[in-house]
Amino acid sequence: MKATIVEKLRQTAHKLGINNKPTYVVMAIAAVKGICRPTFTMMDKKEDPKTKKYTAIREGLTELIAIPVYWGLGELSAKVAKKVLPPELHKKGAKNAMFIGVCVAALLVIPGLCSAAIKPIMGMFYHDKDSKSKTSASVLDIKSESPKLEIKDNSYNNLPIIKRPSIQNFTSRTEYGMKVGGV
Amino acid sequence: MISGIGKILTSNSLNNITSNTNSQVMLETTLKSIGRPGFILIDNEINEDTKRYAATKEFLYQATCLLIYATLVVPVFKRGAFKLAQKIFDKAQVGNFSSLKQYNHYLKLCDSSLNNRKMTLNKEIKGVYKVDQSGNKVNKLVKDDYDEIAVNELLKNEPNTFNDLKGTIELGNIVGSVFGLAIFAPQVSHAFIHPALRFLGLEKDKQASVQENSAKLDKNA
Repeated sequence: MKATIVEKLRQTAHKLGINNKPTYVVMAIAAVKGICRPTFTMMDKKEDPKTKKYTAIREGLTELIAIPVYWGLGELSAKVAKKVLPPELHKKGAKNAMFIGVCVAALLVIPGLCSAAIKPIMGMFYHDKDSKSKTSASVLDIKSESPKLEIKDNSYNNLPIIKRPSIQNFTSRTEYGMKVGGV
Repeated sequence: MISGIGKILTSNSLNNITSNTNSQVMLETTLKSIGRPGFILIDNEINEDTKRYAATKEFLYQATCLLIYATLVVPVFKRGAFKLAQKIFDKAQVGNFSSLKQYNHYLKLCDSSLNNRKMTLNKEIKGVYKVDQSGNKVNKLVKDDYDEIAVNELLKNEPNTFNDLKGTIELGNIVGSVFGLAIFAPQVSHAFIHPALRFLGLEKDKQASVQENSAKLDKNA
């Protein structure tokens, strides 16, 4: 049993030793991240359940996008390098081109794709809730200024205007409440 | 143009990076720490405060990943894999190297041309001495560090790179990278990022925000 495990480990190590593609490690990291990060987020007891679900889906989607991009761009770069380079440099050049492809994916393609694709996808999951919240927000958007009180014009004939405060100026509740003295 | 691309693609410095998982992951994490916050910052649909907060958070997460990778993966998993291979595999498959550093040096020599290798093997190591057969103190040569099998391999046109050992180290590196970046880093960053964001003034303390909210409430109502 032990000998079989050791032999299998040796065979895997031998293959990796001969050809360790730059895409292997990044794809392995993205795959485990895609499982572990959403799991850790969902395990957080302090966070609101809706926020947790949103964050977990977003994190899972990011890694789900990353895996095929790393693989595709890596392989594509290697193929292009093989076409451009002479046969004797194929092995060395293809591996280096694959690494450049992975770097371009990490620096530009994956962040760009994520910011372009994740919003619409998340919108599909949270479409109804978002529209509801928007309408309720617009309904609730009421200006809560208190009514402006005008100073009553007490001018009489040609006498100079003296702006006196009326009884209305002394109360902020002009239209309701108990009224005393029939004013 | 094409010859220029060819030169870049086959350059030795790029080859040194691609043949080592360690440098690959370090470079890739560094690029992520630039790319992801960068794309958040150029997004016009988010308001300025949210952008600054999300970009700083992402940058801090990637920086934590880099730190964890440098401090945990290389010393623990790479050296661990080297020792494991020396222990469980046959000496003929993994050679007789005293340390990981020595094996890395051996691999570098394998990548160079035969003439360069011969020259390097006969170079003196400054400040390191040995006693020769006649009892005199002489400078140690590079080849004196290696055993006979390794020296004989280095004098061949295509030396044995001991792929079983190389692969085990790479496997250890991959396992360590996955453990460090996908499992350990999110836990550490969870504990580290929020205090860091509060320190930078991008996140408010819970107690402070509760106080602020209560201050906003109309107490006369």
